[in-house]
Amino acid sequence: MTTSTGLRRWWIGAAALAALLALPAFASQYIVHIANFILIYTLPVIGLGFLTGFAGRVSLAQGALFGVGAYTTALLTTKFGWTPIATFVPSVMMTVVLAVALGGAAVRLAGLYFVMATIGIQQIVWIVLMNWIDLTNGPQGVRSIPAIGFGNYRLETPQQFYFLALVAAGISYILAKRVIGSRLGLYLRALSDDQLAASSVAVEVGRAKVIALALSAAWAGAGGFLYAHYVRFVHPDMFGLDASVLYLVMSIFGGYRSIVGMIVATGLLESATEYLRPFGEFRMIAYGMILLLGMMFFPKGILTLVRRRASVPAAGKG
Amino acid sequence: MFDQLFIGGLATGCIYAVVGLGFTLVYRTLRMVNFAQGQVFMIGAFLGLVTAERAHLPALPLLFVVSAIAFALGMVLERLVFRRLYHSHEVFIVGTIGLGIVLTNVVRVFFPGPVPFPKIFGSHVVQIGTARFQETYVWVVISTLVLVVLLHAMFTYTRAGRALRAVAADAEIAGTVGVNVNRTIALTFGLSFAVAAIAGVLIGPLYFVSFDMGDMVGLKAFSAAVFGGINSIPGTILGGLAIGVLENLAGGYISSAYKDLVAFAILLVMLIWRPTGLLGRDMPVKV
Amino acid sequence: MKIGKLVSAVGMMGCMAMAIPAIAQDIKLGVIAGMSGPGTSYGIGIRQGAEMAVKEINAAGGIKGRKISLVIADDASDPAQSVTAMQRLVNEPVDLVVGGFGSSQVLANMDVAERAGMPYIVVGATNPNITTNKNKWTFRVILSDSIQAEQIAEVAVKRLGMKRIAVINDANDYGVGNRNVFLARLKKLGIEPVAVVSYQSADKDFTAQLSRIREANPDGIAVFGTVPAAPAIMNQARDLGIKARFIGTGGLANEELMTLAPKASEGTVLTTYFNEDVDPEAKAWANRYVKEFSGSSQPPHPVLAAWEYRAIKFIAAPCLESSGTDKDKLRQCIGHWKGKIFGVPGEAYFDKTGQLIQQSVLVEVVKGAFQPFKGK
Repeated sequence: MTTSTGLRRWWIGAAALAALLALPAFASQYIVHIANFILIYTLPVIGLGFLTGFAGRVSLAQGALFGVGAYTTALLTTKFGWTPIATFVPSVMMTVVLAVALGGAAVRLAGLYFVMATIGIQQIVWIVLMNWIDLTNGPQGVRSIPAIGFGNYRLETPQQFYFLALVAAGISYILAKRVIGSRLGLYLRALSDDQLAASSVAVEVGRAKVIALALSAAWAGAGGFLYAHYVRFVHPDMFGLDASVLYLVMSIFGGYRSIVGMIVATGLLESATEYLRPFGEFRMIAYGMILLLGMMFFPKGILTLVRRRASVPAAGKG
Repeated sequence: MFDQLFIGGLATGCIYAVVGLGFTLVYRTLRMVNFAQGQVFMIGAFLGLVTAERAHLPALPLLFVVSAIAFALGMVLERLVFRRLYHSHEVFIVGTIGLGIVLTNVVRVFFPGPVPFPKIFGSHVVQIGTARFQETYVWVVISTLVLVVLLHAMFTYTRAGRALRAVAADAEIAGTVGVNVNRTIALTFGLSFAVAAIAGVLIGPLYFVSFDMGDMVGLKAFSAAVFGGINSIPGTILGGLAIGVLENLAGGYISSAYKDLVAFAILLVMLIWRPTGLLGRDMPVKV
Repeated sequence: MKIGKLVSAVGMMGCMAMAIPAIAQDIKLGVIAGMSGPGTSYGIGIRQGAEMAVKEINAAGGIKGRKISLVIADDASDPAQSVTAMQRLVNEPVDLVVGGFGSSQVLANMDVAERAGMPYIVVGATNPNITTNKNKWTFRVILSDSIQAEQIAEVAVKRLGMKRIAVINDANDYGVGNRNVFLARLKKLGIEPVAVVSYQSADKDFTAQLSRIREANPDGIAVFGTVPAAPAIMNQARDLGIKARFIGTGGLANEELMTLAPKASEGTVLTTYFNEDVDPEAKAWANRYVKEFSGSSQPPHPVLAAWEYRAIKFIAAPCLESSGTDKDKLRQCIGHWKGKIFGVPGEAYFDKTGQLIQQSVLVEVVKGAFQPFKGK
């Protein structure tokens, strides 16, 4: 792209990247800590994007799936002594398998029914995490989860973890863009635009939906893996309906199909929950108002504030 | 033990049924799910609390006053809030979730802890077989029955009721035959708020009222509506009663720890097996 | 551009204004608890206890002339937020942390304190896993569940003569922890429970659980939960015709138990964290506390405020005096502390795991108030 907007975008991107890389140098540990959460959360949020923006499905189970990823790695490392890196693939696989097992049949349902099914999945997973004490320790949670390490170097402090989180978020973004730009992505978008028409051009509707579900679960599981090794303690309450709502909100605030928008929304909303802390009792009211007013006035996502998009996005753009 | 569990389940089931009705009414007309329904139920309970304490009204006038206020609230919120959320399912869902959070926490500012509710239905203890319970349970069941009959009468015999059914069937055509669609939609919300609020007042005397009492009830009433058929009123009632009784029986006979699981397992299984619910009809839904 | 300069200038002044109250020489005491969210009433109690203690210490000249300033961190009674809140305290940095409410939260945030080498005195979490052989920097003044549940088991069998005991517990760590210890002790005493049921913290209806209990015909019911579930359980139990006496541990030690279940809670016997009738000094403190805070929006909860106050006044402050703010010295001082505090019968001391070993306080609900248990 050699147009002036293209060049400007490149500069903005480069500047943003530089700022991100330098963050730990000039920001307090607390801010890096928040940044880590933002980066981790972009994974389940982008995961939801596969379902919402590209397959026209809303899921309220992402919190539970995130938790499955987190618990899998937590249990493998604390109960069976696996090293954290080794548990990455199992955590993601476990999440995908569970999601497809529980939701695979439901994903063929009409949009609203699918939401309902995901609520059921969310609650069931939470209840099991809470009550299957022999497996998950129930309400006591799993503590002393080891930090991720490379050789002898462990990522203990927020600053050290930050770079892993940044890399992970970056890979997740690039990977997501590749998927969207691929043939599969085309099918998924066709699906959400008009299922009837899509099936008429032989898009394998059913399978595409399940794949979208699997993708969203994979991203959620990966995010959960990071979370567990950062917070180093997991508890069922971290993966309840509230968490699912939060990820969904971030995803929708970001806008239908804008991955960048989702990332920005994640950043804004997560920082907001921290900024709002001084409000004390009114913090949650403010949070609710943000959701409500946001949906009332920016249903297409917050980036509509910033960009006036062309009415027909070019293929591959996100 | 069975008697106790069954009757207890019947009462909570009535509550799920009535709150579930709120979901169903809105869904039939708009194909949208109002995720703040549970919080409306909670508001109804608090409205009842405040009114009962200030005005010392007995049960029947209290129900009337609370439902009237809730009805008005529903219509006002439709105008101000809900109308702007019709953009898409996701937007409506997230928006109403936000509304629910606002309602919960506003109430929390005024009532940070649980509060006992006056015993407007008396405090006799009734005994049937081995089951002992407060007379309030009886009133809950009776009130639900009366409510359902009234609603049925309204839908079948009154003009407004028929307008509601027309808009639910096909809004466009209803509009062309002279039904004021916007006003009907507003009425729908008013009605769904009113029934949820009534449920709140009915259940008040049984437990404490607290700002979080709507969360679980909302989810289970939702499951009830889906189970029975979210576009069917008798289905929702049936669904509510079924879930209320089944979860109690499971909690008593199988495991109290997994009692909540029952409602959600039923939800999931029902959706996969028969999404339109027990009594629901397949409505042409835009995919 | 001028606007920009103006804004940054104002911004800087604002930041400086906020920084001024905490001068460099102040000793920073971190307090972490849930002040919004489910545990608010307990969290506010902790904060009030801290404010009261610090006010008195500062009024008497502070610690060797240095004032103590409080840094309050609200974790909304949520484990994940608690980690962030503790991180904030560590980042401040505070010199030590006294507080912590909720076992899930403390289990989560103590790891942050341990890794950062921050002395942490826990006042409001009773899960046994908090003080084990693993924690170096964490201490706990409040009696853990294991001790409380064991003691109430002994009382139930030996002093109350219960033979058919039913247990109903919250599914959270508090309830489960208590239940496990209680049942283990019952077993040692040769008693099998007649029914064991659980519930979710947010449950409102306990018909299913109580029906099962009623079937078992118990003469005593152990309730391991907190407000508002516990009073609801008691009310509903009486409605169902269950006449057995209730027993429990610290979760029931909340005045709202009697407000919400006035009739049903009569006769309940429980171990508590603080009772003003134990000794005259406790009574005097309680009166001062109620007077100071009864005007505020939250009704005073002496129970946890008492521990926060005593931990700061009698343990943290003397150690700050003798060891200064060097964290390692502080830790050593706390670990070796022993003495007599009001409200605790006899002497107390910290054991190897950081738990304050002390005699527990047994109370009974009589005419709507907690009275020391006379034994009947």
